[in-house]
Amino acid sequence: MAGQAPPGVLGQAAAQSDSKIDEVKKKVDYLDLPTPIPYEEIHRESLMSLKPEFFEGLRFDFSKGLNQNFSLSHSVLMGPMELPSQGGETFKTPIANYEFGANYADPKLMLVGRVLTDGRLNARVKWDITDDIGLRANAQLTSEPHMSHCIAHIDYKRKNWRSQFQFGNGALLGMTYIQTVTPNLALGGEVFWAGVPRKSGVGYAARYETDKMVATGQVASTGMVALSYVQKISQKVLLATEFMYNYLSRDATASVGYDYQLRQARVRGKIDSNGCVSAFLEERLNPGLIFLLSAEMDHKKKDYKFGFGLTVG
Amino acid sequence: MAAVVRRNSSSSSSDRRPEPNLLARVSNSQIVAKGKQVSSDAAFVAKKLLRSTGKAAWIAGTTFLILAVPLIIEMDREAQYNDLELQQQSLLGVGAPPQK
Repeated sequence: MAGQAPPGVLGQAAAQSDSKIDEVKKKVDYLDLPTPIPYEEIHRESLMSLKPEFFEGLRFDFSKGLNQNFSLSHSVLMGPMELPSQGGETFKTPIANYEFGANYADPKLMLVGRVLTDGRLNARVKWDITDDIGLRANAQLTSEPHMSHCIAHIDYKRKNWRSQFQFGNGALLGMTYIQTVTPNLALGGEVFWAGVPRKSGVGYAARYETDKMVATGQVASTGMVALSYVQKISQKVLLATEFMYNYLSRDATASVGYDYQLRQARVRGKIDSNGCVSAFLEERLNPGLIFLLSAEMDHKKKDYKFGFGLTVG
Repeated sequence: MAAVVRRNSSSSSSDRRPEPNLLARVSNSQIVAKGKQVSSDAAFVAKKLLRSTGKAAWIAGTTFLILAVPLIIEMDREAQYNDLELQQQSLLGVGAPPQK
C-alpha cells in the first residue's frame, strides 16, 4: 500500500494539473464546449440514487448471452400488485408474471424486445445512424384497446448542443434543445404538442455540474417544478436531494437520499416528506450473481412493501 | 390532597353523627373535584404522551432499521475486506519492496 501511494499521489497531481490546464483552455475558448447530456436525462444522477426500481414480492432475472451480440433474458415476478379501486384506496391482488426478452446489442444498433405472459409487448430500438444522428423508438402493445402506444425520437448532436425531435401516436410532437453555455452550465428548453388530449406546453431546464456536485432545475408549463442537487462526497458516496412541486395542483414533495457503492454491494436509501422511507440493497454474491433487497415503508398510509430478488447472468 | 386527609381525620375525632354528611361534603368539595380533574387530566396527558412517544419511537426505529442497518452491515463488510487485503498485502509485502 505504502509503496503504491506515491505514484497514485503523483498521478493525481498530474491529473489535477492537467484538468487545471484544461479548465484554463476551456475558459478561453467558448466555442469548444463539451456536448451536453440529453435533455430528458438531466436529472440522471439524482434519479439514479433516489429512484431505484422498487418492487414487492419475489423477482428472479436470468439472462444468458448466446453469442457476442445476442442474448436472451427470462424474468419471473411474483407478488402483490396494487390495483386502484373506487374510493381512492388501493388493494392488492397477488399476481405472477413471466417475461421473456431478446436483446441484440451492437455498437451501432440495439434492439430489445420483451413479452409478458399477460400479453404486453415492449420493443425498443436504438440506432446510431451516423455519429451525429441517432434514432430511438419505443413501442408498447397491450391486449387492451387504446393502451398501446409508440414513440420515436430522432437525436441530433453537435459539438456543444443537442436537439431531439419526438413523435408518437396520439399526434404527439415534441422538440427539445440543450446547449452548453459555460463548461459547467447547460441550458435547455422543450416544446410539445399532443393532439389527442389536446395539450401543449413548454419547459425549461438548467444543469450545473462540477466534479463535486450536480444541480439541476426544470420548469414546465404542465405545472411541474423539479429541483435536484447531488453532492459527490467521494467516488463511492453520493448524497442527493430532490424537490418536486406542482404549481397547478399545489403539492410538493422533498426527498433526501444516499447512494453508497461498495465493492460488494450498492446501498441506496431515501426518505421523503410524505413519510415514505425506502431502501434498496444490491449485494454481489458472486460474479454474475446479484441479490436484491427492496424495502419501502409508508408510515402515513401504513403501507409496507418488501421484496427480494436474484439476478443471474 | 393533604388538606383533605387532615379534614377527614379531624372529623373522625370530633363526632360521628355528621360523618357521612361531612364525607359527602368533602367528596363534593371543590378541592376534591379539582384534584380529581387534575389527576384525570394528568393521566390523559401521560397516556397521550406515552402513546405519541411510543409511536415516534416505532417510526424512528423502523426507519433506522431500513435506512441505516443495511448500510452499517455493508460498511462493516467492506472494512473487513479492506483489512483482509491489507493483511495479505503486508504478508506478501515482505518480498514485495522491490516494487517501489
